[in-house]
Amino acid sequence: MEPLTFDMILVMSMIGLAIFLFIVEWVRVDVVAILMMVSLPLLHLVTPKEAFVGLSSNAVVSIIAVIIIGAGMDRTGMINKLVAPVLRIAGNSSSRIIIAISVTVAVISSFMQNIGAAALFLPAIQRISKMQKIPLSRLLMPIGFSAILGGTITLVGCSPLILLNDLLAPFNLEPFGLFDVTPIGLVLVISGITCFVLFGRFILPQGEPMDSSESDNSPPSASPDQERSDADETEFYELRTPDDFTDYRDPLFVEDLRRRYLLNVVAITEPPDYKITSPSPDVEVRSGIDLAVCGLKKDVLRMASDEGMHLKDSLDTYKDSLSTQTAGSVEVVVGPRSSFSGKSLKEINFQDRYHVTPLSVYRQVETYRAHIDDIVIQVGDVIELYGTWKRLTVLHKEGGLLFSLPSDAEEMRPEKTLWAGFWLVTALVMIMGFKIQLSVALMTGALGMILTRVLSIDEAYQSVDWRTIFLLAGLIPLGIATEKTGAAAWIAHSILSVIGDVSPIVLLTVIGILSTMFTLVISNVGATVLLVPLVVNMAIAAHTDPRMAALVVGLATSNSFMLPTHQVNALYMGPGKYRTVDFIKAGALVSVVFLVVMIAMISLVYGI
Amino acid sequence: MSIITISRGSSSMGKAVAEQVAQKLNYQLISREVLLDASNRFNVPEIKLEKAIHDAPGILERYRHGKQSYVAYIRSALVERVIGDNVVYHGLAGHLLLKGIPHVLKVRINADLERRVAIVRERDKIPAQDARTRILEDDKQRRKWTQSLYGQDPWDTSLYDLTVCIDKLSIENAVDYICQAANTEGFKSSEKNIQKAKDMSVACRVKASLVEEFPNNSVKCEYGNVLIYMKGKDQMTGKLTKKLNHIRESISGIHHLETHVGIEPPPDAV
Repeated sequence: MEPLTFDMILVMSMIGLAIFLFIVEWVRVDVVAILMMVSLPLLHLVTPKEAFVGLSSNAVVSIIAVIIIGAGMDRTGMINKLVAPVLRIAGNSSSRIIIAISVTVAVISSFMQNIGAAALFLPAIQRISKMQKIPLSRLLMPIGFSAILGGTITLVGCSPLILLNDLLAPFNLEPFGLFDVTPIGLVLVISGITCFVLFGRFILPQGEPMDSSESDNSPPSASPDQERSDADETEFYELRTPDDFTDYRDPLFVEDLRRRYLLNVVAITEPPDYKITSPSPDVEVRSGIDLAVCGLKKDVLRMASDEGMHLKDSLDTYKDSLSTQTAGSVEVVVGPRSSFSGKSLKEINFQDRYHVTPLSVYRQVETYRAHIDDIVIQVGDVIELYGTWKRLTVLHKEGGLLFSLPSDAEEMRPEKTLWAGFWLVTALVMIMGFKIQLSVALMTGALGMILTRVLSIDEAYQSVDWRTIFLLAGLIPLGIATEKTGAAAWIAHSILSVIGDVSPIVLLTVIGILSTMFTLVISNVGATVLLVPLVVNMAIAAHTDPRMAALVVGLATSNSFMLPTHQVNALYMGPGKYRTVDFIKAGALVSVVFLVVMIAMISLVYGI
Repeated sequence: MSIITISRGSSSMGKAVAEQVAQKLNYQLISREVLLDASNRFNVPEIKLEKAIHDAPGILERYRHGKQSYVAYIRSALVERVIGDNVVYHGLAGHLLLKGIPHVLKVRINADLERRVAIVRERDKIPAQDARTRILEDDKQRRKWTQSLYGQDPWDTSLYDLTVCIDKLSIENAVDYICQAANTEGFKSSEKNIQKAKDMSVACRVKASLVEEFPNNSVKCEYGNVLIYMKGKDQMTGKLTKKLNHIRESISGIHHLETHVGIEPPPDAV
């Protein structure tokens, strides 16, 4: 074993720093990667060229192309159109629905980013939950897990597998083909779904079904005339202020009513008779006017009594403008890379910018109704919005929020479906038939979609998630430094000297467990970059196939089910109202099954 | 119609000033009664409460949060006392404990050190040096207390509306100034201010109810809508759910109760 050098210590310190920053999240993970990209050449651990080689790597170009192809497919609406026939096949059984949707998501996820597939399906799953009266919590987790598992079906399914060949290159190991992992990935998907079908009732929270009376366009809260016995249900009420309302009192604003009585004013009259829907918080409540509010009856009664307003028996002035044909409330999920994420509702100012009123925010199992303006919105939060359908559609088109509205509201190009399919197949044929490099073939497919106007070049640029790109590109030099300085070999030998001689199966299992643990605390890309050089060295020293060791890392970094740290789990946590303990319960079983199936399949397919 | 808090260093004649102000304005004078109230209501020995409000928390106490609980009890008892207005409170940290109620006139009485030494020497029949040491030690403790619990220095004049030094100015002068200030517009109680005081009282009761088991949470109440700002790890444990149900049932004046997890509490949360 080589002696420990100063450079090795330096590289290990940088790895330690990266892991520490990944865990504490003082800065975002992609910023940590850029920090590595910049500090490694400054410390002379890699050359300046090596520091930025990640940006031109096969992996990074492939992922850019995969994102653009995914965005193109999304743009045609073809994925949404899959839902109806899939549901027809599935029928009414909840198990069959879970199987059908999960398989569809997994297949789509094998050719686009997991999070992209998961976000794409979320509105459809919400609609299915409503229509079939299946609690969302029983659908989302199996489907989310399938989206992650689907990433293991092809080599472009998830970032770790895309990276794999690049990380193997310095060792002169034979690269993997696009479908080399397919048998393993398919069995992993089947095992994952089987887990939920067989044990779903024990491992999934058995939530309440979403109200079946909620149709796509008219959720119950948008039905003002409907009487509800449930005291906790919000409804719409119309009140009238007396003619002397503003006499002898401080001015009262829309915002005050929300703060004092948790009532959202959804329509108000400005004297003499100008009706405003979703008024700004600073609109004053005047004398002798009508206003419509959304909230609990007890709060409305309290306000009417405290403020001396007259509560009408039913909607009167706003009967037409608040009819379910014109307006309603909708639950939207804050999507990945949403521009609304990280901003408070006050900053977003839905009322002024879009003329819609945020009614409440759901995060995990919490429902926020008070002081929601101060809440900083996160990916996966569910916001209940009220507005006219016209305004809600405008907001939908803005993007960033996943609506459970019909897909017609989106600007789709269904006429381009054939072109999108053609370019996807072309890219696949180039890879499989002509053995053209992954990045070149995929970029050809992406370019084809742009040239045939499936999506514009600007849309293609906007679809690229620069966080993912820099995370990948920034961590690649860390992998290079680990290998170049001999730190990977040193750590590998040290670990092997501790565990002694082990059989290949045991070694691969240990690598699988290690990768699973790493991926739960640091990103899957980070885990792959750090572990691949290490396990390849370990495998060489232990006379095991180093390609298989790397493959275990590439696959097991998708084994991220036990904590809501994976982007897909984080996105589904809010809408599914899951708690961390729900992920631990279901994730533990799926993770163990994943490891067993993966090792069994690798030994079966590759004969380890 | 206002609330006056008189903060002072030991032996700075704050008590005398407070008594005369209360007499002149015909206000209720409160001091130690607050400790008694807190002791009765929360079933904690008065001596422990007195120690909690006088001595700065030690290193271990900072982790045990015992002092934090006692201060929450005292604060709750004090807010209950002042909610009816026309009150003069003289005691420790009134200006901090009643922070958030707009019509509180915060007064600080200082006195010349030599004069304080003379008072202690005469009262306790001890040498001047010992009297000086005792006063300085007492000042140090109080400074440490406010620093550790509120991050503020009690000698910082910006914490008060009025600071009077009894040296060239007499007790009578101080009383006149305070009474005059209490009658200015800013310290008169209004409907809005009274509502704020009521909300503060509800928030303090909720905080006092939670503090022993969930010490790091902050509470805000606005028009009877209570918001509990929680740290992630306390989120929706069975114990917390039970506690919140108990709070809903036992504390009057709550229209709505909601927990916000991982959200920065506003500065006026207790």
